[in-house]
Amino acid sequence: MPPFADSRPPANAFHQSKPDQSSNLVTIDVGGQLFQTTKQTLTIAGPKSLFSRVSSVSDQYGVPFVDRDPELFSILLSLLRTGHLPSKAKTFDLQDLISEAQFYGIENLLVASQSNPSQFEAFNLENSLILPLSGRDSPSAISTTPYGSIHVAHGSKITSFDWSLQRKSTILTQFTAVDSLLTISPNLAAAGATDFSGLQIIDLDNGFVRETLNWENVTRSSSTVQAIGSSPEFLFTSFESGRRNSNSIMVFDLQDSFRPVTEIGHNEIFGANLDSAIPATKLNWVSSYNLLMASGTHSGPSGVLGNIKFWDLRSGNAVWEVKEKVDCFADVTVSDDLSAIFKVGVNSGEVFFTDLRTIGAENSWVCLGNKRKVVNGKKEGFGCKIENHGNQVFCSKGGDLELWSEVQMGSSRNSEDGLEERVFRKNLMGRAKDMGGNRITHLGFGGNKMFMTRKDQQFVEVWQIVLGSVGFAIFWVSAACPAVPFLPIGRTAGSLLGDMLMVISRVISPNQAYAAIDLSIPGRLFRTVVASVYIERAASLRCSDTWENCSRGNVGMQRACFTQSESCLTFQALYS
Amino acid sequence: MDDGISHVALGSQPNDRIKLNVGSKLFETTVSTLQSAGPDSLLAALSNRPRLDSNPVFIDRDPEIFSILLSVLRTNRLPSTARRFTKQELAEEASYYGIESQLKSAMLPTPLSGIDASRVATINPASDGLVSAFTAGDGDGSVWIAHGGQITGYDWNLTHAGTIRTHLEDITSIRRVWPEVAAVGSDIAAGLHFYDFSNGSRVGSAHWTDKSDPRIYKARVAAIADSPSQVFASFDCPHRENCILVIDKSTLKIESEFARQPGSSAKNMVAEKLTYLPDSGLLVGSAVASGAFGYSGYIRLWDARSGEVVWETNEPGSGRSSRFGDSFADVDVDTDESTLFKICSKSGDVAVADLRNLGDDPWVYLKEKNPSMRSTGGGGESVIHCYRKQVFVGREGELEVWSKVEEKETNIERESRLSEGSYRRNYVDKMEDSERGIIKKIEGGGDRLFVCRENVEGIEGVDDS
Repeated sequence: MPPFADSRPPANAFHQSKPDQSSNLVTIDVGGQLFQTTKQTLTIAGPKSLFSRVSSVSDQYGVPFVDRDPELFSILLSLLRTGHLPSKAKTFDLQDLISEAQFYGIENLLVASQSNPSQFEAFNLENSLILPLSGRDSPSAISTTPYGSIHVAHGSKITSFDWSLQRKSTILTQFTAVDSLLTISPNLAAAGATDFSGLQIIDLDNGFVRETLNWENVTRSSSTVQAIGSSPEFLFTSFESGRRNSNSIMVFDLQDSFRPVTEIGHNEIFGANLDSAIPATKLNWVSSYNLLMASGTHSGPSGVLGNIKFWDLRSGNAVWEVKEKVDCFADVTVSDDLSAIFKVGVNSGEVFFTDLRTIGAENSWVCLGNKRKVVNGKKEGFGCKIENHGNQVFCSKGGDLELWSEVQMGSSRNSEDGLEERVFRKNLMGRAKDMGGNRITHLGFGGNKMFMTRKDQQFVEVWQIVLGSVGFAIFWVSAACPAVPFLPIGRTAGSLLGDMLMVISRVISPNQAYAAIDLSIPGRLFRTVVASVYIERAASLRCSDTWENCSRGNVGMQRACFTQSESCLTFQALYS
Repeated sequence: MDDGISHVALGSQPNDRIKLNVGSKLFETTVSTLQSAGPDSLLAALSNRPRLDSNPVFIDRDPEIFSILLSVLRTNRLPSTARRFTKQELAEEASYYGIESQLKSAMLPTPLSGIDASRVATINPASDGLVSAFTAGDGDGSVWIAHGGQITGYDWNLTHAGTIRTHLEDITSIRRVWPEVAAVGSDIAAGLHFYDFSNGSRVGSAHWTDKSDPRIYKARVAAIADSPSQVFASFDCPHRENCILVIDKSTLKIESEFARQPGSSAKNMVAEKLTYLPDSGLLVGSAVASGAFGYSGYIRLWDARSGEVVWETNEPGSGRSSRFGDSFADVDVDTDESTLFKICSKSGDVAVADLRNLGDDPWVYLKEKNPSMRSTGGGGESVIHCYRKQVFVGREGELEVWSKVEEKETNIERESRLSEGSYRRNYVDKMEDSERGIIKKIEGGGDRLFVCRENVEGIEGVDDS
């Protein structure tokens, strides 16, 4: 019951004890229930939120009254205080919390606690949710945003799911099918098709076309869109003329209402120069090198040909070019974090990589899979997709998904080119039930989720981590952003605290937790964990800046048990 | 955000606040929140009490449901905690506080967009489940179903509201003319009958008679439409002579008769579909007959006041139609956009005509090049229904929607409005949905679409949620 025992209105209380101007305490009356918090907590909400206005109002007039539900308010106040949702939030739909957070103007905090890209953990993704699409068209393109909302083009429609994946909206476009889709801003997307002239900038709220961007070759014929890419400043579009005799990559300014900036890689095809006839079908921005990777293939009677070009925007020149004649790529991706290009060979179906540092060298592809595979005429890699996210590479083979990750080897054996040999290992993702579905057609990443569409299936699969969400929230806050102001604890401590919270919040019971630990692990270890968590928490509340000293001094025991966050992860995996 | 500050009542104006004690749980809210419940509600009445005493008002009801209803008043949306209660409980409690309309608007489906809709419910009456007619009434998502001689009502959240038995053995046309009154007719029994749904009694009936012509006898009802003040019903005699009767809605007495025709050919048989256009006061009637030589029929527009024919077209006509031999299988009027839609019987094409600009051949045949849409051949077994500026077509068992593409943010000129490519065609249903049976009738109401299939018990409700 609310702490509202006496029925005196708060205004009377205000007259009896005049609020001290210098006082840090703020009292708020929400729907008849009184809450007390500090100004620091309220300022976390940001200057535009209702909370900051509440704290300014309270200085002048006493206890402010907000005519909203007190239970939801208490959850959002917990979010402000701790950065994560309390376990009692589970009695409400996320949708309730979202609309309440929107009212108070702190939806960004809610997003950060629920769908943060730093929560992404490739090894723990599970096929956990299906987003159904109306009608009978299979997805033809998907586009994700960093905080986990997704736009899916299917047929002439674009269906958008918000970051909570609970609100859905669909708009109709002029295309019969959208082949390339890219989200530019929360409510703007660039869409193009290989059978439709021009790139359309579509308002996703109402389906209006804001702008149509075109490219014209010398004959002024119409041009279709082959690929869309973007960097923080620019929008790249690969156009091909309607008669397929010329192609080009246009660069538009994202900040300046899509003004055309420059044109790169303009090819006019005269004669039989096949290589120039290949338009780029994938555009990736490599931010660490400030280069645009454009890749495209052409399938002819003599096999598949392709090229990968790296463009320097300033000079408009291709700085590197890789021509693919033998076992050309079926799909290619470039990873900034790994500083490498990955391809899947169309004939062999194996994954290759080349280090960006050795890109100029002849035949630099290193096969990661079966090196001895005989490349015959078959196209085993046909339709395979390869994408990267963080420092993982995801490669689809039919209905299965391979996860390639680099193993950091302590002793580096240098190969002849002076760089250490890199070791990549693969895992097949998912449980047995997830294997062998229809061919995977699109992969996307956003928030802590991976999105996947399959051939002839009218839904999007969502792969995410299924853990006790509360404990996990604690984990990421500490693991990902050690500089979070309101939770100044280390990565290890955070994960342990998360584990403890999972126990406390009854995601798992302590008995389960005991049971989850192998009996060979002594119970003493568990108690140590408990102790260290409490010590850490107490310490972190008192001294945030001297934390390093505290942890070294007081909880050396804990350090001995869990020195690396990896072991904490194992610990968490045991729980789940 | 901006209206948020209005909810933050400042501490200096405590008079705006009101305290309620509902079943021993204390609530505090503002007068304006309570008054948003509407002037007739209990809550608004409470807020008008003198607020001199600071004692909370005691209401002897369940506090949990009240907190949900208070949330509805505050936010206009239903919180997830409402799932602890059935819709019935919520509706009953809301009617106690007099805020049923607010609860309704919070629970209603979002505006129907055919491209995003999916089947949400199948409504199946307990007995005689084969639905012979239904009417989506009142624009709140409720539906009245005629099955056999019974009428079963389902309210706005599609829960069973009641069943009445009529004297008719087989109701083939039904129209909800008042919130509690249905006009029903049968193709095997004479007359148009009005039934009060609240007590199940017949409150009136209308028969077509002609003192000067004894052959006008035992006329049966083929179609019913209504305007705010009148009911229009097409009557058909056993010897096929037919007319349209105008019946006053308040007295349920016959006012006048028009469009009397002999019924000897397909061009003057009884209208099987009647639609009233509230904007122009026109009545649109259509009839289609199919025989060994294909489909034939007419579309006719009458001025509902004078009974004059304003425009008509016959198919197959002798005129210079670009689609000779491809007459329509079904017609419907979009009352929002004032357009007429037809589906061709042979090609299955959908055509549109602007009601404000009708001529000899007003049809614009819509083009759709979506390669993923299987060409369904003929349009023989097709029904068409316009709702919320979209056109829903049932082809055999498949439900598709034609929706208009937004061109630009700027307003387009009316001339270019009806162009061949301005509509996109999409399926509403999945492949497996279409195998349940041939779609017999589609009707929309309250942002829901109801679909009735041949030889399938019950009707399906489709909406956006």
